[in-house]
Amino acid sequence: MLEQEIQYSRSSRTEVWNKMKRQLDVMKAAAKRGTTGDGVFSPTGLTGGEAAKMRKYRESGQGLTDETVLYAIENSLATNEVNAAMGLICATPTAGSSGTIPGVLFALEKKRALTEDQMIAFLFCASAFGMVTANNAMIAGATGGCQAEVGSASGMAAAAAVEICGGTPLQAAEGFAMALSNLLGLVCDPVAGLVEIPCVKRNVVGSVNALAAADMALAGLENKIPADEVILAMKRIGKRLPAQLRETGLGGLAATPTGTKMKMKIFGQELDLNI
Amino acid sequence: MSGGNYKSVFDIIGPVMVGPSSSHTAGAVAIGQAAHKIFGEKLKKVTIDYYESFAKTHQGHGTDYAIIAGVLGMETDDLRVPRAVEIAQKQGIEVIFNEHEGTSPINHPNTAIITLENDTKKIKVSGCSIGGGTIEIRDLEVEGCHFTPLGPLPIMLCWTGGNDPVDIKAHLSHDNIQIRKESALSQAGGRYIHELDLDRMPHPKVLDQIKAVSSGLICL
Repeated sequence: MLEQEIQYSRSSRTEVWNKMKRQLDVMKAAAKRGTTGDGVFSPTGLTGGEAAKMRKYRESGQGLTDETVLYAIENSLATNEVNAAMGLICATPTAGSSGTIPGVLFALEKKRALTEDQMIAFLFCASAFGMVTANNAMIAGATGGCQAEVGSASGMAAAAAVEICGGTPLQAAEGFAMALSNLLGLVCDPVAGLVEIPCVKRNVVGSVNALAAADMALAGLENKIPADEVILAMKRIGKRLPAQLRETGLGGLAATPTGTKMKMKIFGQELDLNI
Repeated sequence: MSGGNYKSVFDIIGPVMVGPSSSHTAGAVAIGQAAHKIFGEKLKKVTIDYYESFAKTHQGHGTDYAIIAGVLGMETDDLRVPRAVEIAQKQGIEVIFNEHEGTSPINHPNTAIITLENDTKKIKVSGCSIGGGTIEIRDLEVEGCHFTPLGPLPIMLCWTGGNDPVDIKAHLSHDNIQIRKESALSQAGGRYIHELDLDRMPHPKVLDQIKAVSSGLICL
């Protein structure tokens, strides 16, 4: 992947590596911003402050799952809350799915004491799987639903997690295939058309699913359906999804009575987006 | 892994951007930037026509300020992006947004058509945001000439005095750039505008060489 980028961008290895480091730094800053203090809040008030709540909960020691999973949840929420608040994030592969990969990456950073170079390598591995998905299917909610965003991100995170934890390339592909298979059919139904509800919490399922798929792959489990075929299945499903469930804010959770009320409340009056 | 719209790892891990949506915010900035590069003059009026998902959700996704930010030449990670509409209006630029029912004229759910004008010049750029901040430009009207590029960037526009840009093609070929589609349209005064769809961005040196043999060059 690194070689391909060096050739494509006509840059040196160091330049490409450092650019990925910058992406990582943006991810770190967003996760930190979302978990510090009481967190960040979006201009609509629909989302915010929940990553900080999760941090306090994790610190209380009362969590049902272990520290790694709780940490993934917290960082995933934090990144998407910063995104909803129109803060600076790194799209991975999209802004709506920008929390999934950081959730997994920062959880593994803690669990496996990853070095910065290992974290950068994680992102290159994730990008390889993402590029195959983007070029052979789709990564936009408007064309393929949320399976194309959080589903792709979850697969990318699973593959990179397998690789960084010592799995083989084949195991990484199995991790990707399992993670994406689990999220096929996921629709894009944002309330009021905003990247807030359910996007912020759907990234959590992307992260936790990626960790589970990576663990399954490292344990030697197989998806049975190969990664390439899963990608094409996702594409076919995406094409058959009705427009109401592809980022128009017209179906699913967006069309519930509460979702509709939120939309009326937000767009019925002047919305101050100038933050 | 060849082919496709997504060519750089930073199309996938990136862009670094102001939220909330890569297709509706970062992609909108990119479509705006394409129009900005082509127009290249002081602007008087911007008209944005939205279709499908863009028409339904542009308000919530910040598409309005994103596209105007691009039109003003800002990058996706510019922290002034959320204030772009206000900034444009303060510069005396008239800004109009239209939502359209029905399907996109360029056949994509995330479609925006940008018209930029001043007293002497008018251009129209029809772009779509295909996800993750990556865009396509599928229709262009520049100085009275109408082009229909394949969509994926890079797209090169150059102005010359002849209908066959032999020199330009030689420079591109020397740089191992594939031309995926090309068209040339004549203008008054024997000038031609060439539109070339390329497989990757030419080396800066090659762009300089092309500039030397043409009277205008824009690379999107």
